[in-house]
Amino acid sequence: MAIVKRKELSIGEKLYLPAIFRGLSMTFRQMFKKRVTRQYPEEPLPVNEVTRGQPRLAVNDDGTIRCVSCGLCEAACPAYAITIDGQETDRFIEREPERFDIDMLRCILCGFCEEACPKDAILMSDELELADFSREALIYDVERLKRPVSQLRPRLDYVYKVNERW
Amino acid sequence: MTKITLNGREIEVDASKPLIAACEENGVDVPRYCYHPGLSPEGSCRICQVEVSEGGRPPRVVVSCRTPITEGMVVNTETPEAHETRRQCLEFLLKNHPLDCPICDKAGECTLQDYSFAEGQTEGKTEEPRRKLEKRMDLGDVIVLDQERCILCTRCVRYQEEVTKKPELTNAGLASNTYITTFGERPLTGNYQGNLADICPVGALTLKQFRFQARVWNLEKESSICGECSRGCSISAEVLRRNEVKRIRPLFDADVNKWWMCDTGRFAFEHFNDAERLTGGLVASGDNLLVTTTKDALARAAEVLGTGGKAAVVGSAWLSQEEAAALAALAGALGTKAVFVSPEANELKDDLLHTGDPAPNRRGLEELGLKAVSAADAAAAVAGAELAVLAGERVLAGLADENLGTAKLVTFDTGPCLAAGVEVCLPAPFHIEKVGTWLNVDGLERNLTVARKAPAGVEPLDRSLNTLHAALAGAGAQA
Amino acid sequence: MDMLISVLVILAKITCIFGGVITLAALTTLAERKVSAWIQFRHGPNRVGPWGILQPLADGVKFIYKEELVPDGANQVMFYLAPAMVAMPAMMGIAVLPFAAVSPLYQDTGPLAIANLDLSVLFILAFSGLSIYGVILGGWASNSKFSLLGALRASAQMISYELALLLSVAAILLMAGSANLVDIANDQQGSIFNWYIWKQPLAFLLFLIATFAETNRHPFDFAECEPELVAGFHTEYSSMRFALFFLGEYCAIIVMCAMTCTFFLGGFHVPFWADAPWFVQAGMFLAKICFFLFLFIWVRWTLPRFRFDQLMGLGWKTFLPLALLNLFVTGALVAAGVY
Ligand code: SF4
Ligand code: SF4
Ligand code: SF4
Ligand code: FES
Repeated sequence: MAIVKRKELSIGEKLYLPAIFRGLSMTFRQMFKKRVTRQYPEEPLPVNEVTRGQPRLAVNDDGTIRCVSCGLCEAACPAYAITIDGQETDRFIEREPERFDIDMLRCILCGFCEEACPKDAILMSDELELADFSREALIYDVERLKRPVSQLRPRLDYVYKVNERW
Repeated sequence: MTKITLNGREIEVDASKPLIAACEENGVDVPRYCYHPGLSPEGSCRICQVEVSEGGRPPRVVVSCRTPITEGMVVNTETPEAHETRRQCLEFLLKNHPLDCPICDKAGECTLQDYSFAEGQTEGKTEEPRRKLEKRMDLGDVIVLDQERCILCTRCVRYQEEVTKKPELTNAGLASNTYITTFGERPLTGNYQGNLADICPVGALTLKQFRFQARVWNLEKESSICGECSRGCSISAEVLRRNEVKRIRPLFDADVNKWWMCDTGRFAFEHFNDAERLTGGLVASGDNLLVTTTKDALARAAEVLGTGGKAAVVGSAWLSQEEAAALAALAGALGTKAVFVSPEANELKDDLLHTGDPAPNRRGLEELGLKAVSAADAAAAVAGAELAVLAGERVLAGLADENLGTAKLVTFDTGPCLAAGVEVCLPAPFHIEKVGTWLNVDGLERNLTVARKAPAGVEPLDRSLNTLHAALAGAGAQA
Repeated sequence: MDMLISVLVILAKITCIFGGVITLAALTTLAERKVSAWIQFRHGPNRVGPWGILQPLADGVKFIYKEELVPDGANQVMFYLAPAMVAMPAMMGIAVLPFAAVSPLYQDTGPLAIANLDLSVLFILAFSGLSIYGVILGGWASNSKFSLLGALRASAQMISYELALLLSVAAILLMAGSANLVDIANDQQGSIFNWYIWKQPLAFLLFLIATFAETNRHPFDFAECEPELVAGFHTEYSSMRFALFFLGEYCAIIVMCAMTCTFFLGGFHVPFWADAPWFVQAGMFLAKICFFLFLFIWVRWTLPRFRFDQLMGLGWKTFLPLALLNLFVTGALVAAGVY
């Protein structure tokens, strides 16, 4: 701990006027610099595989859904946004979702569901826009959430790469 | 009584039981797969390893389910050696396990998961492919067998031999090719197959009816009593998302049902989830029933009953003692005696649990002085009266085929009454939604607890009856 | 007939000048947001109309549609009255501002102003002194401690700086020998070096800074002071009444700017063009006003806020003695016939 004495100001400094003029000239010069604001709807945000957008369900190339309705994402979701009911299927995997709802208004885009999923079935897509006229319309059901896995491939690879560190 | 030292504690235990039971009674949990307190010990899974030293000899690791208790034994369940042995056993058990927890109905209550987690067995060493066996083997109407998941504990085989006395399951094949199957691949039979899914420590035997219905950690499990026969087995009613009963399982009750229950009771819950459930009052107006609040309907019921005339009061066999007492008091105020509709005996009687009598509280109601009458007699009594109160879960179903005449009806049931003379329908809770007492066939008190909250608008039946009684008395006093 | 015409002429002048100033006030709000945006590398409002020019209109519509909230325990009458009491005096000042030396209107003699009073300087100063009542009443009637504190600060601040303001103006009046804005402007006609700013640099500085304080602008915006007082005296106001406070504030700024121009920069006179036509003079005047408006905004987005005790110290211990000194020196010089 040290006692710091305030610097005595000289007369010129005490007038403050030079400092004020320096400040004014500084802000004046800023006015002609390049603007950094992104004009959002016209200039969309850059997205890549690191973008943690809304969760989506991956669909295999043969059109079957990857999710087996294990409910782990439902359990992991801190916002209680996911509701799943399972059903039996004839496929080898035996089980698939009958109902898979994500309440997008509750979802906080945390990505816990993606992390919890043992089947790489739910992935954070690069879709960010979310607007509608009613709350019901923003509870996305399984059909609304499905995306071909090819579309989610970069994210999938990225997730694997990140997980390797653990 | 024999003295032993368990984890440094001196205790007295019953030497006729295996060591694992003594541990459990003294609050020490030892992992187990093949051991089940209701079955003879077998010792096939080897997971229950604990460290034991007898007579001052150096300690060694043994399976606690097949080790007899001797005087002065020093048992230690938590030594590193015991843990390491258990972990190695797990590694073997998991060698051929398919690890399909994401689709397995047992996940969440599977002891293979629990102990793997507890013992830290996270990785396998094998590179060879796992065994390929039947994954969806149909064992009749109740059970599906997934042979790959089986860890060959043979609990199921012993259950069939020792409890149901129907040895229909067996382990076939030798050594590492052993698998569980039925004789000649015939389906299982009997009224006690559901228990197999409970005792199977993994997801090899699962209920067909519950298959992929819910994840078990989403179920709220509350204790209640089964209402399908006069045995009154303790059950756990498991509710999904606060409304739908998804599964019923037995709860251990030493005096009544031990660890078991019959399939009749296990699968009798669809009516709890009835979408047409009555949750408010209905009041007759002309030919129609108008929806109103429970309170208004109760007031209307008091008006109807206040008109006087010959009355009949009929309860159901599902009434609790408290409700029956309230009903009897109401009957007294109406100048009659309450009776209850006694359902006919069925052919499900066996020498394990089911009594063949579907009336769960017959004994209690009779002790309270309610007379058991057949549906036809009850209907005749109603038809011969001007006013009638029908009260209790399933009372309307019991009288559904009968002619109730033109008496003015006030009903308390979980559904509406559509008979000709109906004046007021009031809602009543299911027995899993109320607090009360039943007396089972042996005269034992069975305590009903609220396993699922009744929907808003459904009042406890005894309270509704008492309110009605008080309203009648008040009206009488004024008159 | 003559009577009717002169009434019509007056009405025409009121409509044009008043409408023009209100429009300018609206555009100033836009400029405020635009300039602040530019200083911070942003674009500013640019969605409503080309370059966002219609933004003030959109704001107006929004204000009208907002719910009017009156806090519990507010003094209803005063609460309703206060915004008008802020806006009205500020707008009154507009009446005497001269925009050109000769009015172009039919049968209208004298300068282009709604009213050409002999004591127009005193008129403006008197009315601008009144606006503090609206602020105090608004703050007090809101029944909120933030509002009350904001109002108290505003009154203390205005009284302190009014002294410096008046004393520096007094020096100008001494030099011009008149309290009429047109006379003052006429005295600075011709060369740019006739502007009083050269003869009264200290008065110019004091006056300029005091106008910042008078109009509650940064760096002296203690009446609002968001970090401490939420929004000061108008914390509890919403909807159109809030907009009225705003309008009053910007009108006051415009009037103050117009006074600065007239006192120190030759008013409506175009340098080196003594008999310029009326529209050039009016344009010149507007241009000078706009420069000062820009200065107001520019300063706001450059300087941090004072501390309140510093503000009072500056007002009483620096500005008041300096203004007095300036007045004495000017008086002496005028008496000696130098000026
Ligand atoms: S991203 Fe997070 S909040 Fe959204 S559904 Fe997944 S787990 Fe739930
Ligand atoms: S964790 Fe994956 S597989 Fe399981 S339910 Fe969620 S999306 Fe489906
Ligand atoms: S099916 Fe289940 S109970 Fe039967 S042996 Fe296999 S693991 Fe044990
Ligand atoms: S429980 Fe002891 S060996 Fe299986």
